[in-house]
Amino acid sequence: MILGDLLGTPVHDPDGGWLGRVADARFVLDGPPHQLMAEPRLLGLVVSPHSVASFLGYERNGLTHPWLLARILRWRHRGSFLVLWEDIAMVGPRSVRLRPGFTRYSTALEDRRQV
Amino acid sequence: MTSPSGPLPPVPRVAGRILDAQLHLMDRQVLDHDGVPVTTVDDLEVSGPALDVEIPPGTAPPVITALLTGAVLGTRIFGGRPPSSRLIRIPWKDVAEVEVVVRLGVSGEPLDASWVERWVRDKIIARIPGGRHDPR
Repeated sequence: MILGDLLGTPVHDPDGGWLGRVADARFVLDGPPHQLMAEPRLLGLVVSPHSVASFLGYERNGLTHPWLLARILRWRHRGSFLVLWEDIAMVGPRSVRLRPGFTRYSTALEDRRQV
Repeated sequence: MTSPSGPLPPVPRVAGRILDAQLHLMDRQVLDHDGVPVTTVDDLEVSGPALDVEIPPGTAPPVITALLTGAVLGTRIFGGRPPSSRLIRIPWKDVAEVEVVVRLGVSGEPLDASWVERWVRDKIIARIPGGRHDPR
């Protein structure tokens, strides 16, 4: 599938409750090694309840400057969370459904220098 | 389901490097192994999952198979995306490095992604007097 089709898709809990939209997809480079780089496997989806897409990633790093921009973007992406691939029950063209008992993880990037 | 209130737990530690698609890959410039610009990453192709099909627990996660590029200006403005068949694929196995730019481990010359530039060079620029050699 094409990842762009998934971004912005509404995310629902197992009972059909609205949780937000897919703002980003997180991959981890630990798949089967290729000649140059390992294959990136899907770790999970970043779900944002208040915005359609992610912008600049302020909610995922420790950057605080420029102050006003950081405050506005953090507020816009408030409540964002990451769900792991294991917690995704179904991906459809118009919605993503999570499994019962799914866990919300922080969207913070561990290595903040990456951004 | 964990409560949405309070700080969320960090993601369990993973061995490999983390790449967020929008943050680290999309819209980044793609350079070939000589540092020559090839294109930009307009989208990504992943190996799954199948749409509208229940994902059995324990299913292997999808992986990125290719970087996609193409004529997306119109669809960026007016919405939608070009048909999948019109998008040009750069296989992930050709990607050597992901930093501020995405570097390929191969030459950009034979890639489909740069066919417009090659066509303009060979069919138009080359027919202009003096167009077949470096400017002096």
